[in-house]
Amino acid sequence: MDPTANLSEPMETHEILEQLRAESPARIEQAETVEALEGLAVEITGKRSPIAAGRRSLGSAPPDQRRDLGRAINDVAVELNALIDARRAVLEAVEASQALESDRVDVTLPGRVPSRGTTHLIQQVMDEIVDIFVAMGYTAATGPEAETEFYNFTALNFPVAHPTRLESDTLYLDYGDVPEGILLRTHTSPMQARYMEEHDPPVYLVVPGRVFRRDPMDPTHSPVFHQIEGLAVDTDITFGDLKGVLDHFAREFLGPDIKTKFIPHYFPFTEPSAEMHVFTNGRWMELLGCGMVNPAVFEAVGYDPDEVTGFAFGMGADRLAMVRHGITDLRHLFDPDRRILEQYR
Amino acid sequence: MMFTLDWMSEFVDLPTNDPEEIAEALESLGHEVEGWERIQHRFDGVVIGKVLEVGAHPNADKVRVTRVDVGDEVLDIICGAWNFEAGAIVPVAKPGAVLQGDFKITQRKIRGVTSNGMICSESELEIGEDEAGIMVLDTDYPTAAEGLGRDFTDLLPEGDVVFDVTITPNRPDCMSVYGLARELAAFYQVPLAVPDLELPGGDARTSVTIVDDVACPRFVGREVTGIAVGQSPHQIRARLAAAGVRPISNVVDASNYAMMEFGHPTHAFDIDRLGDTVVVRHAEQDEPMTTLDDVDRNLEDFDIVVADAERPVAIAGVMGGADTEVDDDTTGVFIEAAYWNPPSVLLTSKRLGLRSEASARFERGMDPEFCRLAADRVAQILVETAGGTVAGVVDEYPAPPTPRVIELHMSEIERVLGIRLASAEAAALLLRLGFDVIGDDPLVVTVPTRRPDVVRPADLIEEIARLYGFDNIPGRLRFGTGLGLPERENRLRSLRSLMAGAGYHEIFSFSFIGAADLEAMQLPADDPARTGITVVNPLRDEEGVMRTTLLPGLLKAAASNLAKRVDDVRLFEVGKVFLPGKGDLPDQPDRLGFIAAGGGARQWGDEGGGYDVYDATGLWDLLSNTMSVAGSDLQTTERAPFHPGRSAEVIADGRVIGIVGEIHPAVAATHGIDGRVIAGEIDADALVAMRDAWRFQVPSSYPPQVFDLAFELDSPVAAGDVLAAIDTAGEGLIEKRTVFDVYEGDPIPEGRKSIAVKLTVRAPDRTLSDEDVAPIRKAIVDAVEAATGGTLRGSV
Repeated sequence: MDPTANLSEPMETHEILEQLRAESPARIEQAETVEALEGLAVEITGKRSPIAAGRRSLGSAPPDQRRDLGRAINDVAVELNALIDARRAVLEAVEASQALESDRVDVTLPGRVPSRGTTHLIQQVMDEIVDIFVAMGYTAATGPEAETEFYNFTALNFPVAHPTRLESDTLYLDYGDVPEGILLRTHTSPMQARYMEEHDPPVYLVVPGRVFRRDPMDPTHSPVFHQIEGLAVDTDITFGDLKGVLDHFAREFLGPDIKTKFIPHYFPFTEPSAEMHVFTNGRWMELLGCGMVNPAVFEAVGYDPDEVTGFAFGMGADRLAMVRHGITDLRHLFDPDRRILEQYR
Repeated sequence: MMFTLDWMSEFVDLPTNDPEEIAEALESLGHEVEGWERIQHRFDGVVIGKVLEVGAHPNADKVRVTRVDVGDEVLDIICGAWNFEAGAIVPVAKPGAVLQGDFKITQRKIRGVTSNGMICSESELEIGEDEAGIMVLDTDYPTAAEGLGRDFTDLLPEGDVVFDVTITPNRPDCMSVYGLARELAAFYQVPLAVPDLELPGGDARTSVTIVDDVACPRFVGREVTGIAVGQSPHQIRARLAAAGVRPISNVVDASNYAMMEFGHPTHAFDIDRLGDTVVVRHAEQDEPMTTLDDVDRNLEDFDIVVADAERPVAIAGVMGGADTEVDDDTTGVFIEAAYWNPPSVLLTSKRLGLRSEASARFERGMDPEFCRLAADRVAQILVETAGGTVAGVVDEYPAPPTPRVIELHMSEIERVLGIRLASAEAAALLLRLGFDVIGDDPLVVTVPTRRPDVVRPADLIEEIARLYGFDNIPGRLRFGTGLGLPERENRLRSLRSLMAGAGYHEIFSFSFIGAADLEAMQLPADDPARTGITVVNPLRDEEGVMRTTLLPGLLKAAASNLAKRVDDVRLFEVGKVFLPGKGDLPDQPDRLGFIAAGGGARQWGDEGGGYDVYDATGLWDLLSNTMSVAGSDLQTTERAPFHPGRSAEVIADGRVIGIVGEIHPAVAATHGIDGRVIAGEIDADALVAMRDAWRFQVPSSYPPQVFDLAFELDSPVAAGDVLAAIDTAGEGLIEKRTVFDVYEGDPIPEGRKSIAVKLTVRAPDRTLSDEDVAPIRKAIVDAVEAATGGTLRGSV
């Protein structure tokens, strides 16, 4: 078809349109790519197409035929555009799926794992324990690890003759010139005294932290280990409160069905003193030490033992981590082997 | 302490023999039972026999032929032991008997003579250690002769149980069989036997003078004469062995047995080597003395000694002297049973590094009222086992204690325990434990002298609670008024999770390191981190110094991973370092340390370049951003143990709070690491304390202008200076800037480099036109050129 043909004759225009209408559907169907189809679309409906030429010739058509001719042109244009659109949709779908197909990869090759480290298991356990008490209305504080013998022992009512004070049990530092010497704290309890000196009652406190004893490393001992200390002081705290709170803690930490028992024990800074045992893995196991704050401790920090009572407790985070995760040798917890650390998820 | 149930049954008739029940009772009283074990005899078919004749073996001179009456028959037995003669009562393993599990005794010929069994020693029966000869029962079990042919095990405590109990240090009164019997009697509400111990008086040959009646308020000396030193009977040796005490001789055993039984340590002097006048006094400064363990000691004037006119004969409560030691020829003893003041015993034993079973007890506090009975009990045993005769006694008691009286108000019990007890009920519990109680409310309680631990009402309340049963006190869940997790703790947690999120694993390393670990950091001589505070009594040299930096621990941890071919190791630690401080205590700041090393290709398609300084500085960027640290910056530095050209000090809010970068290759090499190692150490206290308050900004919804600038600069010019100039000049409009190319080489002249930056400029309130951007671009270029002396290479 000659696109430049003079379409001024209406009859001739009709014929050309008819011809276009007859030929185009097959050509549209035969277009194999979106690109080929777009070329064809320009040829059929573009600026230089018979349809465009027809529209341009409308002005010169006899007025009485103008309306019919216009409608006829439009009908053909609408019809053919619809066919083109339909074909385009088909071709686009095919091409899209071809593109996807050529993008196919082996998804069973290992993926790119965002690298993620871990916090230490002991830290996780300490955080979790602290959170259990925070949820019961406690706050948290930490204290110095190099401590005076006064806060570590004397303020906590340890007799001068207490064997734990000996150099065979406690690590001392060559530092300064204070009367009772500087040591590596053997428990987190000195913070009881320090905190009470700084704060008026009531006190509801937990103290996570690192402690030291002069024990060679073996499966159950380490010169460095970790404790969580607790202290509750108020006008009406009783041994019953101690039992209730620590019972609740054991259930939160080890599960709702855990069984506990309290047996008498001795700590210089509590009176009465107790150990809480839990029944786990088929046997009773000591979980923590606790007791009612010894009035001597209240006196040492300037609290009036006739006004307040309180309880205190302390537990070993390392051992609790071992119990919960089936670790049988404490030394693993201080091993920086990445294959161990990766397990602390 | 360890003891047997059979021994305890001499003092209390328990309602049960079940060891598990008894263990539970002890535990509920506060005496932790480490374990219990039933004594089992691993032999069968051993009977009691009497040696009728002893004769020579015709063909052997090391053994003898005996005829032994075992009740229903008389057996010829060949025996290699020579410690008995005709008439001895002995244990006999008849043919068919089984010893030590599976050793069968049969009739057999020895050098032509038939032996019908075996006469046994203690070690063959595994009931003692004596291998010197066979066990002679008529000395060990005087009544044995009445039962010839009876099963020997009938003589032994059948099914006896050994308990191992840990006594808490506040209960010296429980460090004995009798002490625990008293506790169990109270628990089960059964009577406790009162030991019949008082021996006749009569003046001692020896006089005693006490110079310091605080150090020694009572000293009892009991003389026993006419003794023959030898072996103790089997029953005593077996009980001592079960209690973990090695039997030695009847004199030593008597003292140990009495101590295990009633708790109070005693010491026996050879009376013939001890002068007539005993003085309890302070040692002279530098006074010499040789103790029982044959060590020459130099005494100090605060040490308390027992002395005669010539010289010290014992260090009070700690150890006796060699001069007056009992030996095989001893025929008489002077038994000392004193009360030694706990602090002075502790002071001396601590100074001498000499801790004995006796000193451990005196340090905790013995009962002064029991001294006479303790001495008499030893004398009583010596009479029974060493053929002794009780002679005189001296009892100096210049300072009897006044029993402590404590008033206990009933309201106090409720205030502490949360339970309400009738006063009669509370009094009854105390009475069961041996306290004297009068009155109603308050209870007026007299504390026995054996209980140094009971000094105030709280101690009595514990006694009541113990016997009442902790399990019988109801629990009450009670919430506090504490204000939750402080900001600092929260921020430290954020810091840790941030590091974990960045791919680092947290380690917990020890707070002490070895001097060699610090040495390996190759720090300059004046670096304060070089000299750590030393541990006075470390267990190992590697734990002799408090860490001044976290880097040694991290380096060792990284190296240990790489050495095990665990590659690509990224570690961090948050913990204290210890530095000299101004107050009583060392400064103990918390630090964050990290390290990364190794790191080949992590997976297919990776280039795997390991780590370099930019991973370290980039990590600081992430940290300072996420932790909202204001005014964060880096500045080049040269500081060991870091690479002098590849490390930077970390600045926050105008001050240096740490360092990041590559570890000096020489330091890495010392740790066996080749390849780049990055690390950093940052003041964690500062990091968590700083928190920039930020305000929300609405992002511009207008399109940006994006353009690149490349500058040619002298090589030493820091990129940071370029960026700082850009930031200042483009303030408020630069949304993003990225260094996308750093280049040296053709066509850039030697000694110059090119740094290319992509800039995204966007106004908050309008679309920036090309005309708008031109002056901004010019200002930036001018600023950079002015600041660095560089030139614009032209927009790329």
